[in-house]
Parts: sequence; structure tokens; C-alpha cells
Amino acid sequence: MDAAFTSRHPRLRELLLTLKILSRNPSAVAGALIIGIMAFMGFSADLLAPFDPIRINLSERLNPPGWGHLFGTDEMGRDILSRVMHGARISLRIGFMVVAAAGMTGSFIGAAAGFLGGRIDNLIMRVMDVVLSFPPLVLAMALAAAMGPSLNNAIMAVAFVMVPKFARIVRGEALAVKEMPYIAAARVSGAKNFWIIFNHILPNCMNSVVVLATLTLGETILIAASLSFIGLGAQPPAPEWGAMISVGRKFVMDQWWYATFPGLFILFTVIGFNILGDALRDVLDPRIRR
Amino acid sequence: MKRLFLIVVLGCFGLLLNGTVWAAGPETLVVGVSSDIHTLDPSVSSDNYDWRQIYPCYDRLVAYKAGSTEVEPSAAESWSVNEDGTIWTFSIRRGIAFDDGTPLDAGAVKFAFERTLQIGRGPADNIGAIDSVEVLDDYTVQITLKNAFGPFIQTLATDAASIMNPNIMKHEKDGDLAQGWLAENTDGSGPFRLAEWTRGQRAVLEAKPDYWGGPAQIKQAVIRFMSESADRRMALERGDIDIAENILIDQLPALEENPDVEVNKYPSQLVEYVYINNRKPGLDDPRVRQALCFAVDYDGIIHYVLQGQGVQMRGPVPEGMWGHKKDLFQHKRDVSKAKALLKEAGQEDLELTLIYSERRSSWEQIATILQANFADAGITLNLELMANPTLRDQVDKGNFELCLGAWSPDYADPSMFMNFWFDSDNWGLPGNRSFYKNERVDQLIRKSVTLSDQEKRVELYNRAQEIIMDEAPYIFLYQVKTIVPMRKNVKGYVYNPMLESMYNFQDIWKK
Repeated sequence: MDAAFTSRHPRLRELLLTLKILSRNPSAVAGALIIGIMAFMGFSADLLAPFDPIRINLSERLNPPGWGHLFGTDEMGRDILSRVMHGARISLRIGFMVVAAAGMTGSFIGAAAGFLGGRIDNLIMRVMDVVLSFPPLVLAMALAAAMGPSLNNAIMAVAFVMVPKFARIVRGEALAVKEMPYIAAARVSGAKNFWIIFNHILPNCMNSVVVLATLTLGETILIAASLSFIGLGAQPPAPEWGAMISVGRKFVMDQWWYATFPGLFILFTVIGFNILGDALRDVLDPRIRR
Repeated sequence: MKRLFLIVVLGCFGLLLNGTVWAAGPETLVVGVSSDIHTLDPSVSSDNYDWRQIYPCYDRLVAYKAGSTEVEPSAAESWSVNEDGTIWTFSIRRGIAFDDGTPLDAGAVKFAFERTLQIGRGPADNIGAIDSVEVLDDYTVQITLKNAFGPFIQTLATDAASIMNPNIMKHEKDGDLAQGWLAENTDGSGPFRLAEWTRGQRAVLEAKPDYWGGPAQIKQAVIRFMSESADRRMALERGDIDIAENILIDQLPALEENPDVEVNKYPSQLVEYVYINNRKPGLDDPRVRQALCFAVDYDGIIHYVLQGQGVQMRGPVPEGMWGHKKDLFQHKRDVSKAKALLKEAGQEDLELTLIYSERRSSWEQIATILQANFADAGITLNLELMANPTLRDQVDKGNFELCLGAWSPDYADPSMFMNFWFDSDNWGLPGNRSFYKNERVDQLIRKSVTLSDQEKRVELYNRAQEIIMDEAPYIFLYQVKTIVPMRKNVKGYVYNPMLESMYNFQDIWKK
């Protein structure tokens, strides 16, 4: 790609630059690698997993890790490796769905609040403060319990809890962006509020949103696993990591492998998102950049 | 539903707070159990897990001899019966008093039995043979039966025949016969009284030093509610608890290796089965119920989950109880037959919900296996775990499709199974938890229970059992061994199959 092309597409140039800086950052590479592996396992679980994750086989129950079953088997004789692989798909799906829903809703709410200001801002942000004042896990638990235990309800509950995080960050950015001369120019030339929000405010907040989204992914996966652990998320026999640990803890003293492997997968996924998010924050911060 | 999950959520917090270590001295016996108490009212509860607490707080006219189905005098010193077995006269031991000094006399016995019969819940069926109770003098009471009932004297040793203080009536509200108060308190003349009940955590029974039969050797019995089998096992190994109930069979080999722990196994008459709600659309078709019975992998469950510590049920009456029919039809896994039956019934994509609690440690696994077994026959099974008291409420209201259950007899008579489970007057918690109704079965079992000729009774029951196996109101799973792991220094425990999950705290001591 020649310089002339990228200079005509400033956003693309920005992206390429970001990727370049990222690739020189070892923790970002490590994070991306972990998530890449998880995503690969999740997407190709149907092809790669050696066994059916749901089919029970009682004669193989609670086998320790070995050549037949690398991660051992659970109390129903199901292969734990196959189950954690399919679990990667469930967890990542939860993560991305929650972050997409919460990110879009939260960003829009925040941008509107910051840009419109005044009473609307006050109203929106006080509502967000109320939501933020609850510990996220407790609020998600209460919501999921009230809606009834199922994976979709858990996703909605966690998404709801995550909305204010995005709203707050974007509102802060919007407050700064709206003082920019080009906003005044757009306004003078007759642009409508929504047009300005979508075309000027939101694009300029994207850096923070991307960082927050990456960090939130890790937290979301953790909360979703916690909900499944107490029975409010994925329902049996779904191979969700939290649900697996929940059953596995009953066997943890004699069959260590049962709860350990799903636990490790949660650990690595969350670490992966967190270090990637941290690296992104460093890279996208204009003060550190260049 | 919402309440259930609040309970679950609060329960989780409870677990976190529950970390207090109980330094149990030799005068305190700690039992770790799986679920909380539902109610403490002996006239209301039909749950052995409630009786565990209720039974030692009350006296009854007679008591089971240790480990036996025979009875011996207790609050009654002696008794006599007329020739046709319908009029029983008891002379009551003098000097037994309730905590407030009220004597346990003929009036108290009359009050207790009439209260239980009037409330008319499960316990009323236990003593259902009683027609009237008359006070002959202060210490003589005469009980007239509707008809001769062979095991009558044994029914007087069950929890349902507990004698409570007539003065509880001062706690009566809106004509509830003090049910509200007695659900959370005890007022009996037994060797123990309830000292504390913290929901989700523990109940404490304190021994009465002035009990007429001599005080217990322990000062208090603490019943700790620990829903996790692994928690109970760890606590037992650490010595935080002395007896651990309901340990997952997978965890027994490790426990057996612990030199401080003794794992005792007793042949029991405890059966586990699935209530099929016969009133729910779809499940009201016997073909569908048959299909469910054929879908279950009985051998797999018994061999692997129970590790052979159980046998498949053959009809409702367990082995070891007279009336058990050795040649009765028994379901075996036959998926194609299940599918064919479902097709015939036009229920090829059936979706059902099974509710269960953690009352029995194996239930989570059984539920998962049923889910997989049913899936093979094309039935989608959703699993819903709930707290045991909530589950019992749902069962009583008939607000479920399938539910895992356990049952053990209170006296050695097959009516404990045949009449409780199938009489259409017993819908809900009292016993007919599948809400089954068949006029012919009603007739046969009601007739049988009034006869005194055992052979004739068995014949009627056999005919009823044939109909029942045809209509499959329940899925009969298996009969288990009762396994009671305890610290080696606990002495004096005696298992009685009629007092399943109940402990003779009065005689237990710690070395």
C-alpha cells in the first residue's frame, strides 16, 4: 500500500500504525495469541474435539488424564478436553455478545448524554450511577435470577450491568470532543444532533471504547462463568466452564482434573483479554504514542 | 422460581459465612446434613429430614426397640387390646412432664392425636386407623380404631404419633392449631429440645438434664446444614463434624482410608424414584409414562453412580418388606420401545422439566443421566435445581412435571408404599406425589389395609401392583444402602430402617 493511499484514508493509516506498534509489544502479542488459540479451539471444536461433549459414557467415568482422554473424564464419562473446547465457544460467544450489546448501547447513551448535556445528561448519568453503585456480579445475579436461569438471560443480565461503564467513558470523551471547533462548524452548517453524534462524537471516542471493550471481555467471561457456577447461566448439559467447575468442585479432592482444566481455561482467557487490553490502552494513548 | 433463586443466592453467602470452626467437645455431637429443615411441626411434616430434629424432642406412647421394627413401652407403661384388635387401652407412665410443668397425661395424648388428625396432612395418614381417642382417667387413654390394623402399634412409634404439649394452643393464630408456632419451635417431653435454628446454617438440640428416661450422655446435638457432599466429607475428616450424612459414593473409598473414620453401610428400605405428575398434559398418557420408564438406564446408574450399593426397584414395595413381589414386571432400558410408545402417543418431541434438590448427594448425577437417557429417546429434559424446602412446596402444589424423590417406610407394612403412593386421597406431599388416580387401585389398596389376614392383603396388593406397572405413575429407580460415615469415637449409634436419617441422640456418646 503506498503512502498516497493511506494518506487518503487516515483511519486505515491509523489502524495499520496501531497494529504495527502492537506487534512490537510483547504482552499484546501474548494476549492476542492466547485469545487466538481460544477462539480457534472454540470455532473448530466440532472438528477438533476428540469426543462428543454431551454424550455420556458411564463406563469411562472419572478417568484421570491419560492418552485416551488428555484432560480426563467427568462423572458422566464425558471427555473434559472436548468439553472445555466447546466451552471456549460458549464463553467467547457470551463475551462478544455482551460486549457488543453493552458497548453499543453504552456508547450511544454516553455520547448522547455528553453531547446534549443539561438535564438529559443529568438524568442519564444518575441512572447509570445507580446501576454502577451495585457490585456488578451481585446485580447480574439478581437480574439473572429474576429472569429465570438460562444462558440468554445471563447474557442480557451481564450486558445490562456493563452498559454504564461504556456510557461513563464515552460521556467523558464526548464532553471534550464537543468543544472542538469542527463540532461548532458542523452545527453552524445545519447538522442535526444525531448526525453529529454518529459522525463526530462516536468515532472520536472509539479508542477508549476499544480498550474498555477488551478489558470488559475478560470481566464478562468471568461473571458469566460465575453465574453458571451458581446455576443461573448455562444449563446442563452445556459444557460451560463455570458450570463444569460447579459440578467438578464436588470431586475436587479426589478427581483434581475435573475442576482444574475449565478453571485454567477461564484463567488464561481472562488474562489474555486483560493483558491485551492493557497493551491496547498504552498503544492507543496519544500521549504515549509516537 | 424467584424465591428459589434468592434462596440459592443467599445460600451461597451463607456458605461463605459458614466457615466458623466448631470446636466440638465430647459433650457436643455434630452431624453434617445436606438440607435445611422444612417444618418442625410433627402434625405437618412427612419428611425424615425434619423428623431427625423433631423425633428426639418428643415422646410417643411406644418406641421402636433399638434397630428393630418391634416396639417397647415408652410414654405408655403397658397396654391391652380387645379381641378383634380395634380397642386399645394404654396406661401412661406417671411423672412425665413438658417443659412448662404440664404433665403428659391422657388428655395430652388425646389432644396430640386429635390435632394431627384434624390438620390432616401426611402424619394423619400414619395414624389414620384411629377413629376416636377417649380419656378414661388421667393416666389411661383408650383408642378406638376404624378397623383392626395390624401395624397399628408400630404407627404409634412413628414421628406422626409424637405427643406435644396441649398448652401450645396459646400460640394459636386464626384457628391454625398453633401450626405457625410449632413449625419453628418444639414443645415436647422428649430427651431434647430445640435451642437454636439458624436457617441455612444449623439447628441445635439441647439435652434435658431432667429427662424421665435419664439424661442423654451428650449435652447438645448440632445439626449443620452443608449442602455440599465434599464439604461434609472434609469437615468429617477434620473432625469438625462427627457424623456426615449422604456422602457421594465416589468419595467413600478415600473416607474409608482415613483411620479416624468408620464407614458403616446398612441394608435399608430407602428407595429413590421419579414422581411423574400424572395431571400434566402429555404425562397424563400412560404410554408416555411407560416410555419414560423404558428410557432409563437402570443398570448404568446402579453400577456406576451407586457403585453397586443398590438394587433396581421391582414395583413400589422394596426388598425386605413383606408384599415385595419377586416376579413383578421390571422396566429395562429399551430405547426403541420408548420411541415407539412416544410415537404411538403422538408425543415425539416432548420437552419436560425435572426438578430436584441436593437432598441426596447423588441426585445431580441421576438428573444428568436421565437427561441423556431421555435425549436418546427424543425427549428434551430441562433440569432445575432448587432448595429442598422449595421443592417440597412445589411437589405439594403439583407444580412440576418430573421430580426426583426418596421414600422410606416408617413402619413395617407395605401400606407405607401401596397406600401412601397410590391412594388418590393422598395427592401431594402426603405420599401420592405423582397425583395418580385409578379407581380400581384405590379400591384394592383401601380394602387391603383394612384386612388382618396377611395373605389376603398381599393378594390385593399384588393385583394393584399389576395395574400400577401398566400405568407407570412413577419411574421406580433403585433401593439403596444407607451409608453413615462417622468418627470412630462416636459410640452407641444404632441404625433402624424405620427411622431413616434419624439418630438416636439419646444413646449416642463420644469416647
